[in-house]
Amino acid sequence: MSEKTKFWVLLVLLLLSIALALILNTSFNKVLLSS
Amino acid sequence: MRLSRINNLLLALIILINGYIIAGPFVPGLLFHWQSHSGQRQALQRKIHSPATSLPPQPNAVIIPSMLLDQPILEGTIANQYKTLNNGIWRWPRGSTPDHGGNTVLIGHRFTYTNPRGVFYFLNKVKMGDEIGVVWNNKSYTYKVASINEVPPTDTAIENQSAQPELTLFTCTPLWLPKDRLVVVADLETKP
Repeated sequence: MSEKTKFWVLLVLLLLSIALALILNTSFNKVLLSS
Repeated sequence: MRLSRINNLLLALIILINGYIIAGPFVPGLLFHWQSHSGQRQALQRKIHSPATSLPPQPNAVIIPSMLLDQPILEGTIANQYKTLNNGIWRWPRGSTPDHGGNTVLIGHRFTYTNPRGVFYFLNKVKMGDEIGVVWNNKSYTYKVASINEVPPTDTAIENQSAQPELTLFTCTPLWLPKDRLVVVADLETKP
């Protein structure tokens, strides 16, 4: 795999990781306050 | 060569973020294990039995020795609940207060990734019969845990008023997939 391809794969994985962290954080907040 | 360095940096960031996602919920538990051997529990137990009037004026607070908690009780409107809860323990404004009897409801976060050790992270450490102290308007109230339950978030009966003076504490549970609420109800034991 070329360095350029690796870069794009890693960038997508990084963005997915950040998105997962944000989704989990929001869901933890919502459950407590859903009433 | 430069792109290779950037790739290494990206990989390190991915490992760091995912490591935090996986390990984050357990970090406070490890700290608690260390703190529980430091004598803090005994100090808090003594504090809830010392009359608040003998101390300089202090903010309204809740003290739970079994979960090493000594935190101020925050007031805030329902519209500002997110903001208030992010700062600590929120007293449900439609509930009562210790000096008026009825049901005083205190709500706190258990775990969020932005604040891993939520104020009620260790609410599951509280057992039946444990003592809870509340300082309200510079007077000390002591409660004894009478029930521990898990209810769905739609069960708003936990916020209802009660004939007897009691304290209701709740947070989300379980830690990893918080779909329910952990509810601790304590009956008034001594009042000033």
